[in-house]
Amino acid sequence: MKHLLTATALTLALGTTAIAEDITVGFAIAKSGWVEAYDTPAVAAARIRIEEINANGGLLGKQIKWIEADTKSDQAQSASAGLQMVDEGADMLIVSCDYDFGAPAALAAEGAGLNSFFLCAEDIKAGIQGVGPNSFSASVLAAVQGATVAEWSVNERDAKTGYVLLDTTIEYNKGICTGFDWMFPKAGGEVVGRDTFLNGDASIASQITRIKGLEQEPDVIMLCSYIPGAASAVRQIRAAGINSTILNGSAVDGSYWLDAAPDLSNFIVPVQGSIYGDDTRPAVNELRDAFEAATGAGPSSTYAYPGYLLIDLWAKAVERAGTVEASAVTAELEKMEGEQTAFGPRSFSDELHHQNTAEMQIVEITGGKPGVIGSFTISEPVPLDVLLQ
Amino acid sequence: MNAIPQLLFDALSLGGIYAMAALGIALIFGVMKLVNFAHGEYIAFCVFALIVPSTDAVAVMFLGKAPAILLIPMLLLIGAVVAVASEFFVFRHVRNATPVAMMISSFALGFVIQNTLLLIYSSRPKAVSLWPELNQPVSIIGASIPLLQIIVIFTTLLVVVTLALLLKRTRIGLEMRAAAENFTMARLLGVRANVVITGAFALSGALAAAVALIMVTQTGVADIRMGGQIMLVAFIATVIGGLGSLPGAVAAGFLIGAASVILQGFLPLEARPFRDAFLYTLVIVSLLLRPDGLFAPRSTKPRV
Repeated sequence: MKHLLTATALTLALGTTAIAEDITVGFAIAKSGWVEAYDTPAVAAARIRIEEINANGGLLGKQIKWIEADTKSDQAQSASAGLQMVDEGADMLIVSCDYDFGAPAALAAEGAGLNSFFLCAEDIKAGIQGVGPNSFSASVLAAVQGATVAEWSVNERDAKTGYVLLDTTIEYNKGICTGFDWMFPKAGGEVVGRDTFLNGDASIASQITRIKGLEQEPDVIMLCSYIPGAASAVRQIRAAGINSTILNGSAVDGSYWLDAAPDLSNFIVPVQGSIYGDDTRPAVNELRDAFEAATGAGPSSTYAYPGYLLIDLWAKAVERAGTVEASAVTAELEKMEGEQTAFGPRSFSDELHHQNTAEMQIVEITGGKPGVIGSFTISEPVPLDVLLQ
Repeated sequence: MNAIPQLLFDALSLGGIYAMAALGIALIFGVMKLVNFAHGEYIAFCVFALIVPSTDAVAVMFLGKAPAILLIPMLLLIGAVVAVASEFFVFRHVRNATPVAMMISSFALGFVIQNTLLLIYSSRPKAVSLWPELNQPVSIIGASIPLLQIIVIFTTLLVVVTLALLLKRTRIGLEMRAAAENFTMARLLGVRANVVITGAFALSGALAAAVALIMVTQTGVADIRMGGQIMLVAFIATVIGGLGSLPGAVAAGFLIGAASVILQGFLPLEARPFRDAFLYTLVIVSLLLRPDGLFAPRSTKPRV
């Protein structure tokens, strides 16, 4: 016990000396296990921004250094990884992409009075409503993605009828469908039917039978799911001869799964930034190239980008607050209203540490080839009561 | 659009997959009272054998490039080899342990296989486009169904009939049935335990490979966790079918598939997300009424 205390004291002392020289960002992220594939790209993007800041003279005149701990894709390990980062003197914590896996570490940061950022969580709980007042996410809420494709399809594709196919496995999916359900009728569309399935279902034959039983094929099918379930659903929908435009959330971004549905067309994915080098904003394409230079391959999905964005926003707030102290940084972040970034304007408030509206790139897959066909911003932000549904 | 035949085909094809997976578990339970929870991982292993080992996001076909006439026997063989190897390296050493210890070791083996796949292929799901033309719909008695569904139904029937013939007409079949009935007595009467058990594992592994081929053709994706859900359903099917009863496992597999399709088709929208809760409630009811399962073999009943 005595040794442990001495060791802890030593660690703390060493930690303090580190703080005096540098600003320390602690990554409590999955470096092994199944979440690793989702965290690693966003972490790489975050480091690109850290290195840019360091190359430009640092933050508050200090260099940013990073330390990391592995959550091993385990919720209990996530809490201890968070505590380890706090003990090692982190000034702010970056936690796993997913709410369930990042929250235990974020709570450790909250308990120690530090800011925490989720790498790419799109659930409102990854912020004030779940973790606490100093927690943020730099991604775009799932409901905004659903609302974006809803309004876009009515405005740009003249969609009149929609069918909602919800994968009830995770909260993210429900968020997309909630956003679609809020916006689609408002924009002038009509939901003509809905059904549910589970991501791991071996077959969605009965769901397809129901769609084929409709008098007329719907103009759009809102598919609220993620890979692999989404890929398998799309393969079965198209094989059954249903050619409606399929709308999705950002989770299906990336071309790596397209072999599952050969020669796919009429497939729409809203993303924060394009990974194909054809984003309408040159800064995003430059970032894509920087990512490729740093890691040897371009990002496999849009979920790398929020990592870059979160460091960008946090550093701006720290610069304005003149300190890394959480309440001061949170206050500066909450003052951001239409803050310009490479990915368009971003806002936070004392009610919401997420984006309830965002300029999204619309990626369409035609003949198995994805490409940006334009950008779209919903006509009004998704209200808080819809987000909390 | 004819609703009833459509429903029938949906139910039979889903049930067929479940029945084949359940059969794989029941076979092994029959000969050594082991509930092999690694069975789902055999399925995932066979799917991943189709693609080149790599952690890259885009999958490149490996075995999957072979023509069907070679691919099918090759994959069945791989399934059999994996299962036999797991028997040789793991289960043989715990053969005399309690059923609980054996079950735990099967969990452990499952974790090892899954994590090995994770290490080699990464956790990101991969696309595997195997025989996409089999998903083209065809019209039969007013129902429009993918060709694959018909293949699944016929394959299941074929497998069940072949297995029944094997069990009834061959020496190894006779020995397996004897072993399933009373293993100790069978051994005393000269049944070769190792041959029977190895045979059961080989068949079980080949069945896992067949399920893998069907799943991957249907869904077009390979995911390290893809065996979990089907393993759960298959295990439940073997329990309500009566542990140790092969016809029971097949019948219960079809029954669960049919119940799942009917619930999905007829539950009101608000209740549909809870489809599996209803399904498992039916399972509980079935177990309350027939605690030994619907088709419990005579050997499980005490002979007084």
